[in-house]
Amino acid sequence: MAWISKDWTMTGIIKGLIVTLKHVLRIGDRPTVTVQYPYEKMKLQPRFRGLHAVDENACIGCGICEVNCPNGTIQIVKHNTKWYPQVNIGMCMFCGICVDVCPMNAMKMTGNYELADYSRESLIYGPDRLLFNKEVKQ
Amino acid sequence: MFANTYELIVFILNFIGIYNPINDFFKMLGIEYVLRIIIVLVEIAVLFVFILLTVMFLTWMERKVVAMVQARYGPMVTGPRGLLQPVMDGVKLIGKEDIIPAKADRWIFTLAPFLIFIPALLVFIPLPFGESLIISDLNVGLLYIIAISAISPIAILMAGWASNNKYSLMGAVRAVAQDISYTIPLALSAIAVVLYTGSLSTVDIVTAQSGTWFGFIPKWFIFLQPLGFILFLIASIAEMGRIPFDFQESESELVAGFFTEYSGMKFAMFFLAEYAHLFSVSAIVVTLFLGGWSVPFLSFIPAALVPLVSLGVFLVKTYAIIFFAMWLRDTVPRMRIDQLLKIGWKIMIPLALINLLVTAFILTAGRF
Repeated sequence: MAWISKDWTMTGIIKGLIVTLKHVLRIGDRPTVTVQYPYEKMKLQPRFRGLHAVDENACIGCGICEVNCPNGTIQIVKHNTKWYPQVNIGMCMFCGICVDVCPMNAMKMTGNYELADYSRESLIYGPDRLLFNKEVKQ
Repeated sequence: MFANTYELIVFILNFIGIYNPINDFFKMLGIEYVLRIIIVLVEIAVLFVFILLTVMFLTWMERKVVAMVQARYGPMVTGPRGLLQPVMDGVKLIGKEDIIPAKADRWIFTLAPFLIFIPALLVFIPLPFGESLIISDLNVGLLYIIAISAISPIAILMAGWASNNKYSLMGAVRAVAQDISYTIPLALSAIAVVLYTGSLSTVDIVTAQSGTWFGFIPKWFIFLQPLGFILFLIASIAEMGRIPFDFQESESELVAGFFTEYSGMKFAMFFLAEYAHLFSVSAIVVTLFLGGWSVPFLSFIPAALVPLVSLGVFLVKTYAIIFFAMWLRDTVPRMRIDQLLKIGWKIMIPLALINLLVTAFILTAGRF
C-alpha cells in the first residue's frame, strides 16, 4: 500500500503550479530578462575587451605589442610614412596583453564586438581601420 | 434553437430570402440534393478552417506561455508579438525535403500522418460549439468521440513500426500502452456523466447542464462529479501525450518518439494533429463537465445573438482548459513509464469504477 502516502494530496504539484502561475501573471518581482539582441543591446562594462583601437598620435611603432602577442596576431606595417600595428582578429583571443605592454598607452580596446565577416582576409584589421585621432595634450 | 448548423444556415438563407429561389432552381433541374450537399460542405470547410487556424494559434500560445513561465519573451519578430510565427513555421516545413528512410515501409509510413490527422479533425463533428452550432447531433455522440479518438494509437503504431527505427518503435509501443491504459478511466468517468443525462448525445449533455442550483451555482457536472472530472482531466492529458505523460515522444530518451524519422509536411501533420487533439480534448472536457456553451446567468440575451454568445462562452472555457494543460506542462517533470502504468491501472481505474458505482447508487436510490 505504498500509494497511500502523502503523495496523493499532490501538494508538490500544486506548489509548483502556484510558482509558475506567479510567473505567468507577473506577481512579485519577476521581470523578463531576455535582451532582444539585434534590436536592443546589453550595456557593456567599461573594461570590456572588443576590437582594438590605436591612437594615431601616441603610437611610435615600437613593436612591443607584436613581440608580446601570445598568438602572433599583431604585425607592424607601414601606413602613411609611419609604422602602426595591424591586428588579425581571426587569431586574436582578446587577452589585452598588447594594451598592457604599450609604453605610450596608444593601444586600447573598444566595445565593438560585432566582428563576424565573410572572409578571413577581411578579418585582418589594418591601421586604416584601427587608428583614431586623439587630441594631443599641449 | 436548431438541431444543427444546417438548419441554422437554412433559416438564415430564408431570412435573407434567397433560399427558395436557389432551391427552386435546383428543383427545376431535378437535383435538389445538390444544395444540401453544398451547404454541408460549406459547414465542414468552415469548421476545418476554424480548427486549423485555432491549432496554428495554439502553437503560438504554447510557446508564449512557456516563455512567460521561464521569464522569456518567446517569438517576437514575425508579426505583432510574433503572432505570424506559425505561418513562418508552416512555410519552412513545406519547403523542407520529404525524406523517407531507405528501409522504411513506404506505404504505411506515408499513410500514418493522414490517419492521425483526419481523426483529430473528425472528433469535432458531434461537438457543440454553441447553441445550434453543431455539424451533426449524433445520438451516440460521446461514443463516436471515444471511438474516433481510439484510432490515433493505431496510427502512432503504424508510424513507429514503418519508420524501422528503434526510437520510433519504442515511442509507438509506449504510446499505445499509455493510450489503452488511460482510455478505460476516460470512458468510465464519461459514463458516470451519461448516467445523469441518460443520453450519449452531446447536445443533451450540454442542455442537462443549463440552469442553476439555488440561483448561483451553475448546474455543471463538475460539481456533481468532482472525482470524475479530475480523473477525466488526468486521463485526457495522458491521452494527449503531454508532459507529465509524454512518453510517446520523450525527447531525452527517445529522440522524438514515433515521429523521429518524419520530416517536412508529414512532420507538420503530426504536429498539427497533436494540437488539434489538445483542442478537441479540452472541448470534450468542457462539454462533459463545464457546461459546454451554456451560460447560467445570461438568460436575457436576444435570441439572434445566442449562437455567437454561446460560441464565445464555449471558446473561453475551452481555452481555460488548454491553458491549464500548458501550465501543467511547464510545471511538472515527466514521470517514469512504470509509474504511469501504476497510476493508470492501480489508482485511476479503481477510482473510476468506484465513482461509477457511487453515481449509479445515488441515481438509483435518490433520483438526484
